[in-house]
Amino acid sequence: MGVEPGRLQFSWISSAESTKFVDVVTKVTEAVKTLGPNQRFVKKEAKVA
Amino acid sequence: MVNYSDKIREISKRLLKDCKVDMIIGFRKGSVPMMNEPHFARTAEDVDELVWDSNCGINLANYLTDRKEKIGVAAKGCDSRNIVTHILENKIKREQLTIIGVPCKGMIDKRKIAGLVEGEVLEVTEDEEQINVKSSGGKKSFKKTEVLQENCAVCIHRNPVVYDEMVAEPVPEQTDVDRYEDVRKIEEMDPEQRWAYFDDLFKECIRCYACRNACPLCYCPTCFVDEAKPQWVGKSQDPIDIRTFHFLRAYHCAGRCTDCGACQRACPVGINMRMLTKKLEKDCKDLYNWEAGLTLDSRPPLDFYRPDDPEDFIK
Amino acid sequence: MTDFEPKIVAFLCNWCSYGAADLAGVSRMEYPPNIRVIRIPCTGRMSPKFALGALRQGADGVWVSG
Repeated sequence: MGVEPGRLQFSWISSAESTKFVDVVTKVTEAVKTLGPNQRFVKKEAKVA
Repeated sequence: MVNYSDKIREISKRLLKDCKVDMIIGFRKGSVPMMNEPHFARTAEDVDELVWDSNCGINLANYLTDRKEKIGVAAKGCDSRNIVTHILENKIKREQLTIIGVPCKGMIDKRKIAGLVEGEVLEVTEDEEQINVKSSGGKKSFKKTEVLQENCAVCIHRNPVVYDEMVAEPVPEQTDVDRYEDVRKIEEMDPEQRWAYFDDLFKECIRCYACRNACPLCYCPTCFVDEAKPQWVGKSQDPIDIRTFHFLRAYHCAGRCTDCGACQRACPVGINMRMLTKKLEKDCKDLYNWEAGLTLDSRPPLDFYRPDDPEDFIK
Repeated sequence: MTDFEPKIVAFLCNWCSYGAADLAGVSRMEYPPNIRVIRIPCTGRMSPKFALGALRQGADGVWVSG
């Protein structure tokens, strides 16, 4: 629908794989960083006068 | 398709007389042209009101959910597939049903016709291949194939997949149609274009939920849009709320939707929300080689695990 | 754009990735502070609603991990 594919990520890490966890967190963060702030699907707060 | 009405009445009378069923669900003429309405016939007099023509686009599987009585139901290709889905999801038992199969050559698009004639549509009649429209601006005739509903034009399952009686010989299935041309076009867009496309698609939505109510799959006792704690989606016409509603509704139909077109037909502002359900339908076909409602013998892909399920999206 | 720090909502399975996160913690490993962890009892608890809900409330990314 126009949300960049990189914003939603899936992975599979065993509870013993702490290094993979660190690895994936870093990669996901990098990927989202390059996409920039999310503009899509964000619900703007209603303006209360 | 013209002589179907008589045959349906004949079968219905017999079924009611033999006490095979408590009622027949079919169609009767609506109060305005091209708007046949569902009809629940319990007596022989009710049965005389039953009709079948090219305006029976409503999906009758919608009226079977959690019914307790024995029911005879007229079913075209898509209805029968939704009945199969209903049976698989334990919303009705096969034993309760007597399915009157109706081979279908497509339903006509009332909006398209209203747009092609001048003035108000007063009367619509049809013969085998021709639709004759009388409007306040004059008379016009169309070839039926030119005024079909979009989903019917690309339908490849016109004949019922389950039935106990048939009103006529099966019609030939369409083989030379490109079902997903429009979906591919959207797949080729970049996120920017896609966002704009759906913005435009849904800009008229008034959140009336007619699409949800017309859909035989949308039978949840409490729909997610009506939940308040937590509230998943706002109730306003905010563009993001509209998108969230359509997006999640489409996802609930993944692997279940038969592209019967009831949602689009019911929409008062003419939104083609089938673009979302069709994409998921295509994905199910591509990923799991699955088309909803074709058989009672296998479980849908989303409630059954197979070791070779695709998992390329998981890192 | 270099100083943009994204907010990423991480839905982690109690038994898998949440365990891995725990192990990473007790092992004093270092990882980006951009994730906000939500523990779910199993990845099967995940729903499209959650992903959309996160985006609606301003998350820059959603990460689901089993």
